[in-house]
Amino acid sequence: MSKELSESGLRHRRWGMVIDLDRCTGCAACVAACKAENNVPEVSPEEAQMGRVMSWMRIARKEVAEGERASISMYPSLCQHCETAPCTWVCPVHATYKGIDGIVGQTYPRCIGCRYCMAACPYTVKVFNWSEPRWEEALREHTNPDVSLRYKGVVEKCTFCSHRLLKARDDAAVEGRDVREEEYQPACVEVCPAKAMLFGDLEDEDSRVATAARSPRGHQLLEELGTEPAVHYLDERERRV
Amino acid sequence: MRGNAVSESPRPLEESPDEALYRPIEQTGPGFYWAAAGLLAIFFFGAYQYLRQFSLGLGVTGMNQPVTWGFYIINFVFFIGISHAGTLISAILRLNQAEWRRPITRMAEVITAIVLLIGGLHPIIDLGRPDRALNIFMWGRLQSPLLWDVMSITAYLAASTVYLYVPMIPDIAKLRDRGTRPRWLYEFLSWNWQGTPRQHQVLSRAMNLLMVLVIPVAVSVHTVISYIFAMTLEAGWHSTIFGPYFVAGAIFSGIACLMVVMIVFRKVYHFEAYLKEVHFANLAKLMLVMAVVWFYLTFSEYLTGFFGQEPAELDVIMYKFTGPYAFPFWLMVFLNFIVPVAILSRKRTRTIPWILVVSLGIVVGMWLERLIIVVPSLAVPYVPFPSHPYWPSLAEISIFAAAIAAFCLGFMAFAKFFPLISIWEIEEGRESAIRETSARIASYLPDDPEPSASDEEAVPEGAK
Amino acid sequence: MIYHKWITALQFLSIMLMWSFAAAILIFIPWLVAVSLRWNDALNWTLAISLVMTPVYLTVAGTLTYVFIGLRRGAPKDGDQ
Repeated sequence: MSKELSESGLRHRRWGMVIDLDRCTGCAACVAACKAENNVPEVSPEEAQMGRVMSWMRIARKEVAEGERASISMYPSLCQHCETAPCTWVCPVHATYKGIDGIVGQTYPRCIGCRYCMAACPYTVKVFNWSEPRWEEALREHTNPDVSLRYKGVVEKCTFCSHRLLKARDDAAVEGRDVREEEYQPACVEVCPAKAMLFGDLEDEDSRVATAARSPRGHQLLEELGTEPAVHYLDERERRV
Repeated sequence: MRGNAVSESPRPLEESPDEALYRPIEQTGPGFYWAAAGLLAIFFFGAYQYLRQFSLGLGVTGMNQPVTWGFYIINFVFFIGISHAGTLISAILRLNQAEWRRPITRMAEVITAIVLLIGGLHPIIDLGRPDRALNIFMWGRLQSPLLWDVMSITAYLAASTVYLYVPMIPDIAKLRDRGTRPRWLYEFLSWNWQGTPRQHQVLSRAMNLLMVLVIPVAVSVHTVISYIFAMTLEAGWHSTIFGPYFVAGAIFSGIACLMVVMIVFRKVYHFEAYLKEVHFANLAKLMLVMAVVWFYLTFSEYLTGFFGQEPAELDVIMYKFTGPYAFPFWLMVFLNFIVPVAILSRKRTRTIPWILVVSLGIVVGMWLERLIIVVPSLAVPYVPFPSHPYWPSLAEISIFAAAIAAFCLGFMAFAKFFPLISIWEIEEGRESAIRETSARIASYLPDDPEPSASDEEAVPEGAK
Repeated sequence: MIYHKWITALQFLSIMLMWSFAAAILIFIPWLVAVSLRWNDALNWTLAISLVMTPVYLTVAGTLTYVFIGLRRGAPKDGDQ
């Protein structure tokens, strides 16, 4: 929240992402990287059939009309870290909230599992631990120590890998400076083989991410709802003329 | 079977004309205990299912992504909706001085008290971490509609319990004076009532205040519940009509439930002399009006959405009209509007057996309405999402059954200790109401012109 | 006599129950205001709702107390309790 920022003396930032759909191949490497980085648990095939896949990121299919024909386009769907996030309005216990630098946070120890935020999110990006989460033996041995393991009954979602931000801030504080954009990149951005994702400070007009967001190919999901997401998508088919 | 026996102090010399109203308390038959045993079995099975859910997590339900709310929230809204029966009907009828309310108010108020407790537990049942339910009190955010719910439901619970208890005091005193066992209970609860004029004044003042206070509180409860949905941006939920829609629906379902309860207990406890056809006919007319109001609001809601052709909104509407939820949707319209209007608008079919059928249909239909509000908006998200239909699991169904069993048990427990029909108000009706009502009606009519010196009819001026 | 004392004690206990409920709410609401101040989150909502709910609880508890006291006062003074 901006009050916190000004008190700590750091520049006001808003971390955001630009995903170039003209480069995205739908390979879902970002999905896999996110799962590995954030210790997202696995589910059984039966649970997946029911619709309980635990995935903070997913590749969503969209049908786009082109004249008389329709084509399928895919886009990575993740938490949009909205400026005015409907999920944060409705949480009864302040377990999801607008946090540092505009990232919408999720506090697992406080979440009571009412799933109101899941119902309120228009992007359907939040997932729930319907049972005690489990990891396969091999994965269990390689969990990321920087990310807490969740338990049954709480909601979770993409955090823009905020643990990486906290680490970068600590490192930068030791040297008495601010975090540099290239020091903090979420796992999905880092891993994308098509270099389709950009991440940085949207408030810094000169940053690559802010410049890309201003592109005439740029649009956002569900703009009409007024949530002001931090994720922009570039798509030739949605080019503004 | 020996139920509550009469104690040492002497019974009144003459039996009260309302002996039938004391019988359920003082003479409980074996049927009562068998019914209670059966209901307890259902209740305990549901409780076991909940414990299983507590230990294994919400995975035992049928909920998924995107349908993150299911039976528990549907039943939460359903039960709290029924609570409007009691207090609202009782308060409104008392305020209007409708004399036919006398045998009805007590049962209505009891329904409210029981159903609020059951409904209020459902959000806790729905929690993924019920062990952290206290977080609501420690870290609550009053911006969240769930917190508004907590506030208004507890206020309504307090107000309706008091509103049930205060008018019951004279009846408890009667039980005390008859020596009904357990004596200490009635002595304690009767709060020194002796029927003195001063006490009557205190009671009627308190009741007047409560019946006015309880109405806005009751309206706020279901309005606030509707805000849980209306304050999100979901298609089909973010609608300004939700407040009035839910309140109207709650009153509607409440009256229907009250009817069913009245008919059942009239049969079981032989209250035919008190709950006469006219009482049911009058309530049925109210129910008919509510059916039309409900239909009007439903029609407005869907017409607006359909006409605007907003894609997300339309997706949800078509999901209900012609999609997977078409059967529940049209069944709901049939049970809530077509059946009541067809049957209750004709005097010949406004009889108790027909009313029972219609009321049961409405109770089912209003449950369907809650299903249709909660699930489709979640099942059809704004963004493209793989569709996963929602089917309730054994846990959810058995907890629902347990909730209904708990309602019946609560009612039966009440009937065992307190009169289901307000005895003193019936007596008051016999003694003074006829006189007072005649005087009141006479006061509406034009005043008699000034009489002449003799007792002849007054001659109009100018005529001779 | 002891029996009557117990009955009176229970009656006082019952009205105390109502007031402890009202007191819990009246403590809860300022606590929520404090929480919202600490996190700088939706103070306006908290204050608005508090202003509405507090009189409701006070009225309900007050009415019940009025009945309690009124019935005790209005009871006939002879030993018939």
